[in-house]
Amino acid sequence: MSKDISRRSFLGIVGGAAAVAGLAACSGDEGGDAQGGGEGTARNVAVVCSSAGRNDGGFNQRAIEAAQAVGEENGWNVQVIEPTNGIPQALETLGADGYDLVFNMEYDFEALINGTGGADPLAQQFPDTTWVVFNDNPNKNDDGSVKFPNVVSVLFNVNEGAFLAGALSVLVNENSATLFGDGYNFTAPDAGGRAMGFIGGTNSNGIVVESYGFIEGINYEAEKLGVTYDYYAKYDAGFTDSAAGATVAGTYYDQGANIVFGCAGSVGDGITSKAKEVGKLAIQVDDDKDDQQPGYVLTTVLKSTGVPVQSICEALAADDMASIDNEMNYSVATGATGITDLSVISEYIQDTDTWETIKAEIEDLTGKVGTEITVVNAQIGETFDPATCPNVNIQ
Amino acid sequence: MDLIGNILYDTVYHSAPIILCVIGGVFAFKANVLNIALEGMMLIGAFVSTLVGFFTGNLILACALAVLASFALGLIFSFMGVTLKGNVIVIGLAINMLAPAIAGFVMVLMSTSNITIPGLNVADLQINIPVIGQIPIVGDILSGHPILTYVAFIGIALMWALMYKTRFGTYVRVVGENEDAARSLGLKANTYKYAAILIGAVCCGLAGVNLSTERMGMFTNNMTASRGFIAIAAIYCGRGDPLTSSLYAIMFGFARALAINLAIYAGPASGLFDVIPYILMVAVLAVVSVAQRRNVKTRGFVNG
Repeated sequence: MSKDISRRSFLGIVGGAAAVAGLAACSGDEGGDAQGGGEGTARNVAVVCSSAGRNDGGFNQRAIEAAQAVGEENGWNVQVIEPTNGIPQALETLGADGYDLVFNMEYDFEALINGTGGADPLAQQFPDTTWVVFNDNPNKNDDGSVKFPNVVSVLFNVNEGAFLAGALSVLVNENSATLFGDGYNFTAPDAGGRAMGFIGGTNSNGIVVESYGFIEGINYEAEKLGVTYDYYAKYDAGFTDSAAGATVAGTYYDQGANIVFGCAGSVGDGITSKAKEVGKLAIQVDDDKDDQQPGYVLTTVLKSTGVPVQSICEALAADDMASIDNEMNYSVATGATGITDLSVISEYIQDTDTWETIKAEIEDLTGKVGTEITVVNAQIGETFDPATCPNVNIQ
Repeated sequence: MDLIGNILYDTVYHSAPIILCVIGGVFAFKANVLNIALEGMMLIGAFVSTLVGFFTGNLILACALAVLASFALGLIFSFMGVTLKGNVIVIGLAINMLAPAIAGFVMVLMSTSNITIPGLNVADLQINIPVIGQIPIVGDILSGHPILTYVAFIGIALMWALMYKTRFGTYVRVVGENEDAARSLGLKANTYKYAAILIGAVCCGLAGVNLSTERMGMFTNNMTASRGFIAIAAIYCGRGDPLTSSLYAIMFGFARALAINLAIYAGPASGLFDVIPYILMVAVLAVVSVAQRRNVKTRGFVNG
């Protein structure tokens, strides 16, 4: 009974918000509707934000922008929801309201795929809604077949982006003395500086995939150079305590690591702050954060939700949802993942000749990764075997 | 040896903001006002200091306004809790929710997920004491910290003196012990409660400045990460005595430092070390409460 009441009140709140937004949309889009009335139906699309919120500067924000851009062209109702009452309730409300397309940015699929509290899975309850989830493919039966045809899982091959970051890290680390000038405090490679760090927010496939790719990238270049790297990793730093992230990074830097890859939301911001404090480098994740601490962020392993959200929305606009597979993988080649163009860090480089050689090597690898070079993708269930990376000592 | 030095340095690092909350919060505890808003006050201090630092680049102004913001939350808390006699738990909870909401709202307006003070290198804020800084272990403890960290540790003694060696401290404790008796003696009980809460607010503001601007040069929302609640736990464990409560705060900082520094040797199992602070806290509390069982129900003036 109490569940009913809370659900109803939640419906009321969301409904009220939708009504207000709807009114605003009506007054603004009157002209557009009249013109484009013939083609395309007005769709209801929703983006359910993860806990990082709508202005996280990356994961949620890019998805929202992409959905709004396509929505505006077609005169759709695009709702952005920051759930206060849990993801399952928000999804259920949207399903009940007959939304056509719902992007669930949070890593929370239980209610959608398996159903919670004895209820049927939401994907089954609302078959007319297309549900899009990110960073994992929970929509599988035990035999690997697709469970619900109306669920789309979007996966980024960040393993490939992380691989590039790992390769770049080794090349930069080996040449740190000549590449960078005053204000930096690198540990020389042969004095214990052959070490890298990784700090992840939680031990999930979406996080370890970056770490494994990073390790393989380090190994690739280390093997070429005939050197061995130490690798320090923490997979449970959480996503909010930036001060704790900074001290963990501090211990890695203190162990000789010159570059630490942070994959942990606000905790990652603490790592870049620490990098600046000690005069070393950090690698960021998701959205281009190279200018967060200019000169101390080597690069960012990108995960642009904008690319898949846009293509799915466009498929909906063209009434061609059949073209969207249930599992969509975005590789480096699609531009949805990869590393940044390095323009920010370039301004802090002294030795441009070496830098150009390094950039050329990374350029070369960008073309090869995913085809000639395969990188373990933990997101799709591949397992990582440390024995394949003899030049990295995982501590 | 280096490891021990790092652990001790990080102990000071993680203890300082908690100590600042504790030495301020003990007064409200002694005045019998449960101030659970330490967390929110610390967060608003952290937020305002970085925000002001971001726009003006003036760290002294940033610190002053942060304390002012925290003071304002303290005034709201006192007015609603003391003057209007509202439920302090509800008010405290409201403040704890208000602070991240304000910070989040402003950051939405700025369309950013964190605020970084440009051009500030926190390494420049650290005070490296010339000779002492060179001594291995001692140097790690005493040297290389920002100024508010020193303020926190010196503050322990100052607040102890304020509480036990001044008339003000005695009155605060009397008000907390027996408000009616205090009133019958002509003490303005509400004034002392206000003062007790506001001392806490100012200290929490400083704790926020220490955590964000001084240590990181940046603010991320909810960065206080429950340190305010740990401070409350420390105050309760120490029964409101500035010295004992601070020792609990240091113990928590130590456990945190231990967890972080040992994790590097544990590889994937490093998560296990994150339970050290909590296990240590529970263990110490169990021992202490067994030892002091007789006094549990009569905390206050007599038991200091």
